[in-house]
Amino acid sequence: MFEAQEVNAEHKDLIHDVAYDFYGERMATCSSDQYVKVWDQNSEGKWNLTSSWKAHSGSVWKVTWAHPEFGQVLATCSFDRTAAVWEELVGETPGPGERGTRHWVRRTNLVDSRTSVTDVKFGPRTQGLQLATCSADGVIRIYEAPDVMNLSQWTLQHEIQCKLSCSCLTWNPSLSKNHPLMLAVGSDDTNLSAGGKVFIYEYSDNIRRWIKTDTIASVTDPVHDIAFSPNLGRSFHLLAIATKDVRIISLAPIPDNANTQSGLNKLDIQTAAQFDDHGCMVWRVCWNITGTILASSGDDGCVRMFKMNYINAWKPVAVLKGDGSHISNEGHRSSVSSAASLPTPPMAAVSQTARYIKLGTISQSREAPWH
Amino acid sequence: MATFNVIQEGPVNALALNRDNTQVAIGGRNVFKVYSIEEDQFKEIYNLRSSKHLNLSFSCNDISWSSTDDNYLATAATNGHVCVWNLTKMGKAMQEQDYQEHTRTVNKVNFHSSEPNRLISGSQDGTMKYFDIRCKTSVATFVSNTESVRDVQFSPHTPHTFAAVSENGSIQLWDIRRPEKCQHQFTAHSGPVFACDWHPEMTWLATASRDKTIKVWDLGSKPSLESTIHTIASIGHVKWRPQRKFHIASCALVVDCSINVWDIRRPFIPFASFNEHKDVATGVVWRGDPKVFLSSSRDCTVFQHAFKDASRPASKANPQGMCLNNSSEILYACRVSANANLIYKMTGFIRKSSSTNLTTSDQFHQASSTVHQFKTHLTQETKCFYSLASNYMMSGKSVSEMCEHNATVAQEHGKNYVSTVWRILKTIYGDEYNRNSSLYLSKNNDDSISHNNIVLDPSTDTDKQSKGGDTPGAQFSGGDDTEAEDQVDHSAPYGSAFTSYSNFRLGLPRGDFFFGDNELDVELDGLNSIPDIRNGIRSTPQIIDQQDWTLPNEAFNIRHEIQNHSPPPEQFPNQNSPDTNDETPLHAEDGSAAFLTIPKAPMRFEWNPSNILISALKYHATLGDVQTAAVILIVMGDHRRLLKDLDESTQEHWLLGYIELLGRYRLWNIAAQVIKLSWLPSVTQLNQQSTRINTNCGNCSKPLQRAGWVCDRCHTSEYALCSICHQVVKGLYAWCQGCSHGGHLAHIQQWMSKHKACPTGCGHLCEYS
Repeated sequence: MFEAQEVNAEHKDLIHDVAYDFYGERMATCSSDQYVKVWDQNSEGKWNLTSSWKAHSGSVWKVTWAHPEFGQVLATCSFDRTAAVWEELVGETPGPGERGTRHWVRRTNLVDSRTSVTDVKFGPRTQGLQLATCSADGVIRIYEAPDVMNLSQWTLQHEIQCKLSCSCLTWNPSLSKNHPLMLAVGSDDTNLSAGGKVFIYEYSDNIRRWIKTDTIASVTDPVHDIAFSPNLGRSFHLLAIATKDVRIISLAPIPDNANTQSGLNKLDIQTAAQFDDHGCMVWRVCWNITGTILASSGDDGCVRMFKMNYINAWKPVAVLKGDGSHISNEGHRSSVSSAASLPTPPMAAVSQTARYIKLGTISQSREAPWH
Repeated sequence: MATFNVIQEGPVNALALNRDNTQVAIGGRNVFKVYSIEEDQFKEIYNLRSSKHLNLSFSCNDISWSSTDDNYLATAATNGHVCVWNLTKMGKAMQEQDYQEHTRTVNKVNFHSSEPNRLISGSQDGTMKYFDIRCKTSVATFVSNTESVRDVQFSPHTPHTFAAVSENGSIQLWDIRRPEKCQHQFTAHSGPVFACDWHPEMTWLATASRDKTIKVWDLGSKPSLESTIHTIASIGHVKWRPQRKFHIASCALVVDCSINVWDIRRPFIPFASFNEHKDVATGVVWRGDPKVFLSSSRDCTVFQHAFKDASRPASKANPQGMCLNNSSEILYACRVSANANLIYKMTGFIRKSSSTNLTTSDQFHQASSTVHQFKTHLTQETKCFYSLASNYMMSGKSVSEMCEHNATVAQEHGKNYVSTVWRILKTIYGDEYNRNSSLYLSKNNDDSISHNNIVLDPSTDTDKQSKGGDTPGAQFSGGDDTEAEDQVDHSAPYGSAFTSYSNFRLGLPRGDFFFGDNELDVELDGLNSIPDIRNGIRSTPQIIDQQDWTLPNEAFNIRHEIQNHSPPPEQFPNQNSPDTNDETPLHAEDGSAAFLTIPKAPMRFEWNPSNILISALKYHATLGDVQTAAVILIVMGDHRRLLKDLDESTQEHWLLGYIELLGRYRLWNIAAQVIKLSWLPSVTQLNQQSTRINTNCGNCSKPLQRAGWVCDRCHTSEYALCSICHQVVKGLYAWCQGCSHGGHLAHIQQWMSKHKACPTGCGHLCEYS
């Protein structure tokens, strides 16, 4: 049921991020070894290394693709306090059917941060070329390339001070014109008493500024990753948060409750789901393109997938081990019950994790129930 | 050990510890003091600048404390002086020696670690001087033949050797007894080397440079590069950590205010980082203990750092990466666990001791990741989207036909729910409906939307009554209370199917659709009363409406079964107005119906399905199936007008969402079709953007910016003619982006079928597909 293919990335240090392009046919990896690599899938589905270059003078934390209408463009951010925008140039085609040589050139280096740049993300395509970065000293910066044909010119549009060190950010990709531009930022500050670790910012067209509209107070543990679900037709937004567990937060704009000055609607923030199936630190959350499946990965070395069923309830649907073996459903059924009873004591969670790994060797091919 | 600091009057350039690491001497342009290091603070012992006779020799570039005699300090001054200070003396006498031999700034002074009284200096003038502090002049001068010497360090392993690094990027190894020529010289960096440090145990020398690297050289035999650490800024100082073979501390010359401790086996990310300083650090000394060190900084402070207060950049670093693509394939990169590594190694060397007491620092350097791509059963869903998108019919036929087609398509893909929605849609808005809709639409302005069904032709007075009920609830003439309402409720989405069915049986005009037996069961599941209605219709057409809405006796029993049937897929908005209760007596004449809780007067079937449809569409959109929502909206065509409660922005959102998804699957044609069929100007306009392509001049490859074929540079249109017939191209023009030559589509097509090269003979191998 699960096919696993290992990609020999040959990075010399930890890989911090992997990213598919818009079509899911190319991928980029970045690592502490300061290199970024771009891979293409051949017709047999095998990944071939297309380009590899030293992108920064420090660990490269994140890599992200721009929408292909802007060309083959990547953005990276690094411990070296910079974020960079890269464009692929394709050389002369040697002959029909053959591909030209490709290489990536740095179009710009954004050097405004005074500490490590922890995340970089392109804004929604409808906004042209916008780039948001956040840094360890808690500054969110929004850049814009006024001319989408000229990737070397970026202007710093907004600088938002966030009180806590930022670790991750995400744009709300909603295509609806009813929804204002929205950013969510997570902090990995370990001080639990510092309050909520996820902040919601919205752009007010009225006053042309970004405004912090909400803090998600229920998340007080360090946040490592955050992701808005693709919103292709929902009236509300879904935000996934990787903290000590997996959270799904729904943010529903309350109609006719606009702040008159900014023209922004208030948000009704609810926790839609909370899963501590990982039983330990969760590092990544990621949505599929329709926003129906959430995948999370944690220190237990597992990828877990969650899906919303027809009554708007989120349910675990699959567990994958990092080494490619599949974990039987019994294991994950028990985790469902544990998720239902909300935070289990950490010890119990750990022992459960240990059991998963044992079960992992027995591969069961029955399909997980899902709707 | 604690982290604490002391603030100075000015920037501190250098610091040095005494032999037993209890006192620290600090020096700067305006600072020259000795502190004793207490448990949690610095305590001033001497201020050597308290003397009245201050001059430039008191401004230190560097400072060194004799490792054999605690009373002697040496300083390097910016004016080229090297001074030796005796702490046992007072006032002016403290300055025991003042060597004025260098012609430019002295960058470095260093006492020999074992031989007493031996001092060496390195200067910007390119020379090094060797002093015996008992003598008034230097003992030896070493000419580096480089512009300037930035650091000199005695080797702790061979007492006669010292290393010097220069601004030209080279390392020199000297024998103290042979001032005429250096033993070894090699270029180590591509930029100036600012510092070096001998490893306390190994024959390693670490060098720091402006090229943002720290390099470790093994000078045991032939100099060889042991490892390179890439840092984010020019490195000003490096210092090996005692008792930790692979650890080295560094501080930057510019940009970076933190002091980093690196593990040379993992040269990419600092093992520990100390961020207390507000400006760049100028010196680092370890207090003999790997857990504590002191640093001086240009921010006018001196710090003692405890290792427990370090930040660990690697621990904050995300060790995993994950991404999902269009087909829900998962890309997952995760750290290979250090223990797994160990086990792997142990299987290789079976005899190895199995002490697995790994500390964090032992594991630190074992950092590697694996990447896996997973394909899961969820991938199925994707294929479904693609196939549905390609097969759905959005225009060109009647609503009924398209609905039927799309229902079949959905069914083929196992999407039974979606298929049902299509069938319902067909019944609601199909041709049958269309036939009556002229009336319907004309009446549309009226608040109470009347479903003017021919079959269920209502009597005039009920019509009036229903119009009287101005709430939308009047639509539901029959359904007010409990059970009767339940019944209607259950069948609500199928209500129209019901009427159509009646039409069919009566031989009245009907749509061109047909329910197979099974389908009928699905559609009318729960309406077990159908046979009775059927009979009723056959026998007494006059009372159709009564039969329909009051139900005969038998219906009473059956109804309970009905309730056990599957609930409706959508919640029907409960909008019944209580006014309708008044109609009850009308039906009381029928004795059998008295058993019913709510016997109803024959009512005109007035029902607006649009709200149900809206909630159905919203339901699908919320579940992530924007495809269904968008395609239904498109197929509905003009009937969209009936969906009054569905605001345009939501419609636009769905269309844009669908177009976005189609884009991800490269289904451009379908996306273009959606845009074309769109009724919203903001969506239609998507087709109007970026529609212009400039061809290039065939001669100079400059894009033809102007409307015509004339090139701005060549001032001729000659090269823009068809390459084959040499005529101006009107209509379709095919051209090669590689060589900018082109021509009539047909000509190029013909040419490329036989040849590979460009028809102009330019030699370019054009690609035509």
